[in-house]
Amino acid sequence: MKQLFYVAKRNPLIFPALLILIFWIFAALFGPQFTRFSYTEMDMDYQMAAPGTAGHFLGTDALGRDIWARIIYGSSSILTIALLTSLFSSLAGVIIGFNAGYFGGAVDRFFLRIMDIVMAIPPLVLSMVVLGVIGNSNIGTLTLIVSIAYTPATARVARGAMLSNKNMEYVDAARLRGESHIYIMFREILPNTIGPIIVEVTARFAYSIMMVASLGFLGVGLQPPTPDWGMMVIENKTIIRAAPWAVLYPSLAIASLVIAISLFSDFMSKVVYNDQ
Amino acid sequence: MTNRPILDIRNLNVSYETSTGPIVALKDISLTLKENESLGIIGESGCGKSTLSYSILDYLPSNAHRSGSIMYQEEDLLLHNHREMQKIRGNRIAMVYQNPYSALNPSLTIGDQLDEVSRIHRGLSKKEARKESIAALKDLSLGEAEGIVLRYPHQISGGIQQRICIAMALLCQPDVLLLDEPTTALDVTTEASILDIIKELKMKRNMSMIYISHDIGVINKVSDRIAVMYRGEIVEIGPKQEIYFHPKHPYTRALINCMPRAGVKKENTLLNTIPGYVSRRSAAEKGCPFASRCEKRNATCEAAYGLKSINDNHNAACDRAYAEDVPDKPKRQPIVKKQNDTTIFTETPVVSTENDSLLIVDNIYKYYKNRSRTVRALDGINTEVKKHDILGVVGESGCGKSTLGHIVAGLFEPTKGSLLFQGKDISKNWKHRSEDIIKNIQLVFQNPGRSLNPSFTVGQVLDRPIEKMLGVKSRQERKKIMVDLLKKVDMGQEYLNRKTTRLSGGEKQRIAVARVFITSPQLIVCDEPTSALDVSVQASVLNLLCELQEQSHTSYIFISHDLNVINYLSDHILVMYLGRVCEYGLRDEVVKPPYHPYTEALLSAVPDVDPSTNRKPIRLEGSPPNPSKKIVGCPFASRCHKVISGLCDTTPAPRKQVSDTHHIFCHLSEDKMVGDAHL
Repeated sequence: MKQLFYVAKRNPLIFPALLILIFWIFAALFGPQFTRFSYTEMDMDYQMAAPGTAGHFLGTDALGRDIWARIIYGSSSILTIALLTSLFSSLAGVIIGFNAGYFGGAVDRFFLRIMDIVMAIPPLVLSMVVLGVIGNSNIGTLTLIVSIAYTPATARVARGAMLSNKNMEYVDAARLRGESHIYIMFREILPNTIGPIIVEVTARFAYSIMMVASLGFLGVGLQPPTPDWGMMVIENKTIIRAAPWAVLYPSLAIASLVIAISLFSDFMSKVVYNDQ
Repeated sequence: MTNRPILDIRNLNVSYETSTGPIVALKDISLTLKENESLGIIGESGCGKSTLSYSILDYLPSNAHRSGSIMYQEEDLLLHNHREMQKIRGNRIAMVYQNPYSALNPSLTIGDQLDEVSRIHRGLSKKEARKESIAALKDLSLGEAEGIVLRYPHQISGGIQQRICIAMALLCQPDVLLLDEPTTALDVTTEASILDIIKELKMKRNMSMIYISHDIGVINKVSDRIAVMYRGEIVEIGPKQEIYFHPKHPYTRALINCMPRAGVKKENTLLNTIPGYVSRRSAAEKGCPFASRCEKRNATCEAAYGLKSINDNHNAACDRAYAEDVPDKPKRQPIVKKQNDTTIFTETPVVSTENDSLLIVDNIYKYYKNRSRTVRALDGINTEVKKHDILGVVGESGCGKSTLGHIVAGLFEPTKGSLLFQGKDISKNWKHRSEDIIKNIQLVFQNPGRSLNPSFTVGQVLDRPIEKMLGVKSRQERKKIMVDLLKKVDMGQEYLNRKTTRLSGGEKQRIAVARVFITSPQLIVCDEPTSALDVSVQASVLNLLCELQEQSHTSYIFISHDLNVINYLSDHILVMYLGRVCEYGLRDEVVKPPYHPYTEALLSAVPDVDPSTNRKPIRLEGSPPNPSKKIVGCPFASRCHKVISGLCDTTPAPRKQVSDTHHIFCHLSEDKMVGDAHL
């Protein structure tokens, strides 16, 4: 804990980052109760209304839907997908990376080649193709496909952490009392690699938000009328001159979340590596 | 010898700024180095020896603060800026570092690195510089200097690398040479030859030097005066004879007495230990730095402090420095006699003596193969471990002693040959060993920091083996066993909840030993268990291992490069060289003639603690042959000082049975296998 405060004091940027994060988490959990409008409600009198008009805090889009309400509603879906994605891809990455690193040899080569194949396709292209084929994407399919796209990167991190630990003598000591491979990997070695893995999970979180927003922008994300930040940007692209707020605010939402998480991830890595 | 001081350090203080507040590294150091004098600095790790040498050259990290003065001739080095210091460093004051592997640039040839010194500091041309470099190497008795300058650091052995580092330091003819543990990373025989060279240099050139080491034997060889440091202060300083024969400060006495040395054996002596460990120092602390660990402390220790003069050049920082009764002879009382003076042999062994071997190593080979070459780590080893007996395995690095230990413990399989443990074949690795064998053969690792899981608490480290190997399911019962175990290794149960990373080196190794004794194994392989520890801690771990062995009637295979330790602990000794056995026998037979020439060289290389004896080590020329080449004759032939050419290098050495318990692999006849080397 002391260490945490010490690093925080030297990196004051963590405080605004935490504030933004807390705001978005609160918005995702309780936001809908605080918005005056529903995200589908079309205010026929105020289409493309400027921010502040008739209770529309951030204005409305071409259909007269409240931007504020749509952003708040959208935060819950993007945060859910990003969180699940970073968790799933890290979990799969750790399992694959640990096995590859621990056993080495043929097992290592096998997993590495598969990872290479997945990595050779840009994650965005991979997700687009798969989602395009499936057609109707929802939170489940989005999470799954983004997780798969990100697994190779986390697997490599986990493999590296395993390689630097598997030759330590405490591993030999565990072997000499007849422990199983699973026990050695996940009970003895995992606690010593948790630092880089936490850093990876937080970094993945930021990447996932970018990815989900990009997929929404490209039209293969969540389907309308569910509000999606990326989709909001592309929907309102045509009215960017008449109502710039309709594009600006969703973009700002994406940016603020990504920056806040990146700063947080940066901070975590400082905490983890300062400790060693 | 003139008495003009060349380096005069006055009230030097160094502290580091950290997240938990400032840490005092050096406190009020005052020290003079006279012209042509060699000063040795001794102390355990963390006592500020290296910080002192680095602060002279202003090599400290950016969070360090220095105050006081360091007068070099007429200049105060503390007032110099970066550029002015550059003119002093290397030029006037040069330094040799501990590890030659990292001190040399791996991507430049030796010649380029040496030339650079003369070119930058003395402005010589390339050709002149090369000439100088070769001359400098020849000066250090490096045979074919012209060949060496063309090679890269990884192509030459550690001993030669260190000689090159010394040559590099000497190229500018500095007035002061700082040597920071230059032989600690090297083998004993290499160390002996480096020390020889340093001694020669001292005679040849009028140079002052400060030699830093944790080993008083090494310091004795090269220094006139010794300064003893403890927790950032000099606690005693004086001529080496006085320090050794009449130590005044309790720390000096404890430090000298806790080393196993000349003829000390486990049967009649218990090593002296210093309780506690070297702790960090905060700025507020006053009084004697050693007070918390001193057995003779009194109220004044915590208040008054300062160096007091005993005679003209001997000073000690202890209140009772004057009052202490000065004994005429070297004070050896701290080596306490055991209560009952019976050796373990005279006790009735628990098992019958009829068939008393526990483990038979039968012609073991271990080859490491890759595409281009085969490294012969073990090349036909035959030996045995008796019941309730300690087999000491000694040899220089790369001789295969650790490989042997790891094969016995089951970390990997031998390429060829078999291991018989109580008549059962166990020449397979841990995956294929039965639970019973695993329980009965355990291993103590070299580095306790790596062998205890750094994210576990002591309780977690001990709990799992008790559950897994003893099958104790109840939590309370396991805790009871753990508390008993900790008691066995002299630790309290408050340690159970401490993280292993928060323990000192000695405490960690105690926990590692406790873990091994959980299953009460019949054979324990100790792979250099004390070489990563300080001498005072080493003494306590050795005492502990000794005591536990007597209580539990276990056998040890004790692997070490330190003959003093081996001599102290072992019943039998196995001397190895390049994966083969040189000599095997009872301890007292091995350390006395007749012996294998390699044993003789090892014995002669052990630095003597007593400054009054002065013996010449046998210099082993060259480095051990490449282990990937097939050797026809005796592997030691290429470096042996008694080699019979035409025989030793072509015919394998025959086994000579000296007595029932002692055999040597050598071509020499028994009357030739003599010498005056001994412990």
